[in-house]
Amino acid sequence: MNDYILLVPILLPFFSAFPIYIVGRRSKRTRDILAETAGCAEFAACAILLALALGGNELTLAIPNVCGRGIYLKLDCFRAIYALIAALMWMMTTLFSREYLAHYRNRNRYYLFTLLTCGATVGVLLSNDLFTTFIFFEIMSFTSYVMVVQDEKPGAMRAGETYIAVAVIGGMVMLMGLLLLENRLGTLYFDELHTEATTMADVSELYLPGALILFGFGAKAGMFPLHIWLPKAHPVAPAPASALLSGILTKTGVFGIIVLTSGVFLHDALWGNIILALGVVTMVLGAVLAVFSVDLKRTLACSSMSQIGFILIGIGVQALLGHHNTLALWGTGLHMVNHSMLKLVLFMCAGVVYMNLHKLDLNDIRGWGRNKPFLNFCFLMGTLGITGVPLWNGYVSKTLLHESIVEYIALAPSPGIYRAVEWLFLISGGLTAAYMAKLYIAIFVEKPVKPFEEPKKWYIGTKSALAIGIPALCLPVMGMFPSPLMEGIARHMQGFMDWESPDAAVKWFSLTNLRGAAVSLTIGAAVYFLVVRTLLMRRDEKGVKYYVNRWPTRLDLEEILYRPLIQRLLPFLGALVCRVLDNLTDWTVALLNNTVLRRKPIPPSSDADFEPGDFTPQIKRSYTLQRISGSISYSLLLFGAGFCAAMVYLIIILISK
Amino acid sequence: MKYLMLLSVLLPILSGAALPLWRFKVRRSREAYVLTCVCATSLLVLTLLLKRPEGSMRLFPLTSTLDITLRLDGLSGVFSGLVAFLWPLSSLYALEYIKHEGGDDRFFAFYTMTYGVTLGIAMSGNLLTLYLFYELLTLVTLPLVMHTRDKRSVRAGMKYLGFSIGGAACAFVGMMVLYHLGDTSLSFVYGGFVSDNASERTLILTAYLLCFFGFGVKAAVFPFHSWLPSARVAPTPVTALLHAVAVVKAGAFAIMRVTFYCFGTAMLRGTWAQDIAMGFAVFTILFGSAMALREQHLKRRLAYSTVSNLSYIVFGVTLMTPAGLTGALSHMVFHGVMKITLFFCAGAIMYMTHREFVPELTGLGRYMPVTFAAFTLGSAALVGVPLLPGFLSKWRLATAALEAGGVLPLLGVAALLISAILTAAYLFTPVVNAFFPPAGEGSHGLEQARDPNLYMKLPLFILMASMLALGVGSKGLLSLLSRVAAGQL
Repeated sequence: MNDYILLVPILLPFFSAFPIYIVGRRSKRTRDILAETAGCAEFAACAILLALALGGNELTLAIPNVCGRGIYLKLDCFRAIYALIAALMWMMTTLFSREYLAHYRNRNRYYLFTLLTCGATVGVLLSNDLFTTFIFFEIMSFTSYVMVVQDEKPGAMRAGETYIAVAVIGGMVMLMGLLLLENRLGTLYFDELHTEATTMADVSELYLPGALILFGFGAKAGMFPLHIWLPKAHPVAPAPASALLSGILTKTGVFGIIVLTSGVFLHDALWGNIILALGVVTMVLGAVLAVFSVDLKRTLACSSMSQIGFILIGIGVQALLGHHNTLALWGTGLHMVNHSMLKLVLFMCAGVVYMNLHKLDLNDIRGWGRNKPFLNFCFLMGTLGITGVPLWNGYVSKTLLHESIVEYIALAPSPGIYRAVEWLFLISGGLTAAYMAKLYIAIFVEKPVKPFEEPKKWYIGTKSALAIGIPALCLPVMGMFPSPLMEGIARHMQGFMDWESPDAAVKWFSLTNLRGAAVSLTIGAAVYFLVVRTLLMRRDEKGVKYYVNRWPTRLDLEEILYRPLIQRLLPFLGALVCRVLDNLTDWTVALLNNTVLRRKPIPPSSDADFEPGDFTPQIKRSYTLQRISGSISYSLLLFGAGFCAAMVYLIIILISK
Repeated sequence: MKYLMLLSVLLPILSGAALPLWRFKVRRSREAYVLTCVCATSLLVLTLLLKRPEGSMRLFPLTSTLDITLRLDGLSGVFSGLVAFLWPLSSLYALEYIKHEGGDDRFFAFYTMTYGVTLGIAMSGNLLTLYLFYELLTLVTLPLVMHTRDKRSVRAGMKYLGFSIGGAACAFVGMMVLYHLGDTSLSFVYGGFVSDNASERTLILTAYLLCFFGFGVKAAVFPFHSWLPSARVAPTPVTALLHAVAVVKAGAFAIMRVTFYCFGTAMLRGTWAQDIAMGFAVFTILFGSAMALREQHLKRRLAYSTVSNLSYIVFGVTLMTPAGLTGALSHMVFHGVMKITLFFCAGAIMYMTHREFVPELTGLGRYMPVTFAAFTLGSAALVGVPLLPGFLSKWRLATAALEAGGVLPLLGVAALLISAILTAAYLFTPVVNAFFPPAGEGSHGLEQARDPNLYMKLPLFILMASMLALGVGSKGLLSLLSRVAAGQL
């Protein structure tokens, strides 16, 4: 039974992309309207799908005859919710793009590739077979490259280089993992992964393919140590593209990791510990980088990395907790949703700043946000949300994650380690508060060093304002009514990640939960006033404080390790070996030609260069003699002659006796 | 029907040989003549494929048991179908391209004759016939390699000749062992005709390796690959068709024949001979890609890429399972289409702008959109981006390798993927440079650059369309190939 309606949200962007490109070459206005229509239609399609899914329908689609192995799609609540969020982000960013991109070149290309990426992303989210996931994942990687390099400035090209390199290498490593996994399990179908994995005799055989696939998905999610593309690509991409990269594209990586964790490695402690460890490193590193950064979009990008770390911790704990992992499940799913919404708002706010000032350095944009209440409100909502202040949405998911860690401490064989994880979690929450406070205070509170030129018209168009304002309003609404809204979402999403039923109702605003948030916020305030305001700021000669980036520029994994390795060392060794081997056969032939097979030069004919009174002809003739005297037959002849003489001598002696 | 086989082999050979006799005065009439002959042959092949004649056709006997035989089985069908699809496109392209090379009569005479000889290889019914056409192929393509007749091309030609004849001599020794130990008719039988006897085992395996490396010369297996990059001095239609499709695929095809239809996989599987053959194939995969990466001349880069990709095919064959052969066959078909596209693009760039080196392509994308669209698509396909054909064949090869099990096949899969990364590195660099030139660079002297005319663009369009079609809807083709590989056709 095929439900072809599942193809609609995938093919709609694919097929509208090219007409929009062609139309755009004639009329920019029509193109903008068409692109916005496509975005809204996509949202409507995903909304219909969600309605179907909530109605209890489980839609599946199998087209076995295409792409060699077939395309398998499925719709359940988790997929529907996430597809809807993806569509929402696309709709909002498209609405915002029109104003933001007004002064950009190559806008047709931007719309073309954004729509292609949109279709592929929804394809990833709806896939029900790792092969299908991989197909859409790769398309998404390649088409989103163009979004990153839209500017074509050197910085963007370099970031694009990193992005595509990570994507290609990640993709291929993942492919290797998929091949091995299919070989071991005999299937890549999501619904069968779990049953096949549990019937395996030796589960340890699955770790290698699991690790390889994790490499591929982790590279896209921005997981340490493959996060290198993330802080580079987000700041250089146009703001709507950054919002998409950060809010949705990284989540496709997370989606893949969830599939692995809930399918192949369900309740596997070792796997959970690996994910947890990587998540902790990603979370702390991202937060620290964000505190140091003085660039608005770079801070937000590092923040994305950190939040992905939070989500990974949720996934890890969910594998560790085994059958009682409801809290972790909810936390993971909700933090994905929250982070997408938050980054949508925050990156678009950053886009408004950039659109007006064309600057992102905190020292240059300082104070620009004063007396701009609308922008102030939106950014504040985002800040409070991501920091985890109670009554905003981030609090809900962070509390769940925190609770799940606490839950595991009670069960863990060595609780000390997990207590450390809990503290790192709280500290990272504090760092989140610190860097968001840094941004907010810099833009909206501090006085500008020199007054800004106020624009003639309002700094933001109505449509863009709507695109930012609506999601920003959602954030507190989601946070204030956790039980009906968030819990509802979580309950619906849960089916995808596990088959267990929830066991207890959560008390959202209980004292213990509020205490966690309070600890984080206290740490955050301490970090802000003791570190950011003192160590990370300096006074210039006029006595005005300004922000400095104290992070040593040399300390960059990409510059220290990856680029030298891939651009210098490996090519050098490879070239050395290859050059030698390439010429091996030719050298052998040359060697033979010069030794065994050497042709003797033909001796010059003797009479040609005779001159009167010259003795050389005689000498040359004697050369012939020399050749005769040097030959074996000549020596045989002489030997024979000597032999004969000896015989004659013997005979004479015999006769004379 | 059987006579159609003979006709399809002889028609291009004879019409090619007769081409100089016509003494064409007008370019148009020569174009018409060449296209008619080539298309007629392709139609003949198509008819043959649709109504495949059963049994073999004996041309003339050599000894009481050995004769020259034509036969069309599944494997022949795949190869001749591929050749018949690509030859008309490539001829159309060559008609335009050769304008700036000169020597049209000589070129098209040999070019058309090569078609017949390649079909002869595809349709040969026993090893001796294959050997005959294989040697003929070397001789008939030699003038094409040396077409420009300057010092470089003559040297490349001599190298090509030396390598090919030397390789064929090795294969001849192997063939004699087969004659001695196996069937004296040398007819191809799926599963082989050599009986496994322990006493002669070493001899048989040595003979297999001789055949493998002998025919492997044309398939550019390391260490006998170096003629292929040298041969890029030939005009682009020659490098495109011969050195990406006909000649090198003839080598790979011969290895398939020898492995599956002469020695038989049952005997070879698990022996040291298989390990050696597979080891060299795996190494060549990596080696070719690495060489391509450090090569700056576009056509030489593509030539090294061919070296690498041919070894994908050879690797599939040396797995010695039907699944491996399926992968090999699918890569043979897909690689033909992808690589010919890339070569056509390289040729179009050379033809329109006289630029040959990768750094010189900076900024060209805007001026030659069709060419670079085709180049991008071909590159993505060769890298193995899903929805395009290269991905499918790699997937098949990799799953077959994992099914076969063992360390070497696993290494082979790793090599496939590393090679894919390297492919991305060496093909996407020109693409990115062409479309996103660094600021202030690349637009010098490009104002005149534009896409070539329809003769050269039409093949590109057809190839692009067929790549997309093969990528999305090739389930039927793949199941056909797997039936061929299982010996059912």
